[in-house]
Amino acid sequence: MVPPTFLRTIEDSGFSTWLRESESPFAFYFVLLFHTFGLALLVGANTVIDLRILGVAREIPLAPLKRLFRIMWIGFGINAFTGVLLIIAYPTKALTNPVFYLKLTFIALAIWIITMLRDRVFDANLDETAMMARGATLAKWSLFLWVGAISAGRLLAYTYRYLTYPC
Amino acid sequence: MNLAHLHLLLNHFPIIGTIVALGLFIGSFIGKNDDLKRSALIIFAAMALITLPAFFSGIGAQRAVRKEPGVLTAVIDRHEGAAILAMFLMLSTGALALVELWKRRRIATERPWSGTILAILIFSLLTTGVMARVGTTGGDIRHPEIWDVKDVTQETGISAVIHLFEPTPSKFTDLMLVSKYWWAFMMDLHFIGLALLIGTVGILNLRILGFEKRLTGASLHRLMPWAMAGFGINVLTGTLAFIGMPAYYTFDVAFWLKILAVMLLGLNVAVFYLTNAFETVERLGPGDDAPRLAKFIAGSSLFLWFAVITLGRYIQSYADTLH
Repeated sequence: MVPPTFLRTIEDSGFSTWLRESESPFAFYFVLLFHTFGLALLVGANTVIDLRILGVAREIPLAPLKRLFRIMWIGFGINAFTGVLLIIAYPTKALTNPVFYLKLTFIALAIWIITMLRDRVFDANLDETAMMARGATLAKWSLFLWVGAISAGRLLAYTYRYLTYPC
Repeated sequence: MNLAHLHLLLNHFPIIGTIVALGLFIGSFIGKNDDLKRSALIIFAAMALITLPAFFSGIGAQRAVRKEPGVLTAVIDRHEGAAILAMFLMLSTGALALVELWKRRRIATERPWSGTILAILIFSLLTTGVMARVGTTGGDIRHPEIWDVKDVTQETGISAVIHLFEPTPSKFTDLMLVSKYWWAFMMDLHFIGLALLIGTVGILNLRILGFEKRLTGASLHRLMPWAMAGFGINVLTGTLAFIGMPAYYTFDVAFWLKILAVMLLGLNVAVFYLTNAFETVERLGPGDDAPRLAKFIAGSSLFLWFAVITLGRYIQSYADTLH
């Protein structure tokens, strides 16, 4: 089966070609770098919240960790943006790989968990014990989903069928 | 300076350092001196960190001497096998020393013996022994003045016993490359370790710099074992990746700058715990502003960790930039 031709159209565009083929350190690797920064902010901050809800370092008051949500949203914004750029650079590689859709599913669910942590745990006027009780399941799912998203993302470098559009 | 210089400069530290630390460690039991024990533990951890560049620079040194007359590949390989074994023993000793240093801060009652102390004693004895062999086999590579009195290719006595436990470098390399999924798994763990490390270290550093002052310094400091776990995962997976593709990393300028940044982070952590910065952070209550030294350490730690990520990301595009 031949991949849809719109992938070739994206790939042939000047911007895609530049991202992919430029020797400049500010092309592809720069985008990849910011994708990693975004991962560090988003998953790093979420991990701290998850671990605390699950009882690690109980001395940390839970409510002030609400501030980490802003860091997570910044990380998510960076990664949504750089993620689109990475798809533009290698559309065929990403979009013909089933693992890519698995990764997107993991991320969508993990982000949904973040909104639930915000609404049901941090914004619900609960005391610490109630926050921990109500957040425990969400926190476990969150850790699982991020491990899944990172693993699927890593696998994209090793499991693709086409690197570029087959001629 | 080239990698052979760097190797000769660094390789004596783990060998001599572990002997000194082991002496202090044993002395601390005889003299019942707790400061001595703490010093020994700190030196073990520092030597574990410095072992990394000492090991990584070996491939460059190897390339420099390989074609010299009289230098035998088998002797180099034996040295490298011994070095791999010694490095993993040294890293284990360093990790255990950090566990013990952490426990000593948390638990006020100082028991002279514990499982961890016993493990440190055993691992540091093994490390010192194998490190001595690394030094000897390294010296055998290119010192013609001893070749007349000693057949450097022969194994006798205890050397022959240690040799049984030494990996063959090329086989270890092949093992790391056995499947692309094994490689993907190691890289995956490297990224998970990254998230764990940056998340936990990052929030402590941000609080010291003044982010969300309702959080106390002491409570956030309780996250540090998780940071150490992330760091441990990444040292292990990073080292295994190096053994898998030694030439790829050795001749890469981004890789060496990354290692330099990791060494500077070791210095950063040492300054944090060995000055009064740590005490001031532990006392940081709700609303308190951290003193300037603690802020400087926190800021440079954040900067260096993001430098480590940046340089790690550029390894791929800077392969083959050193010769």
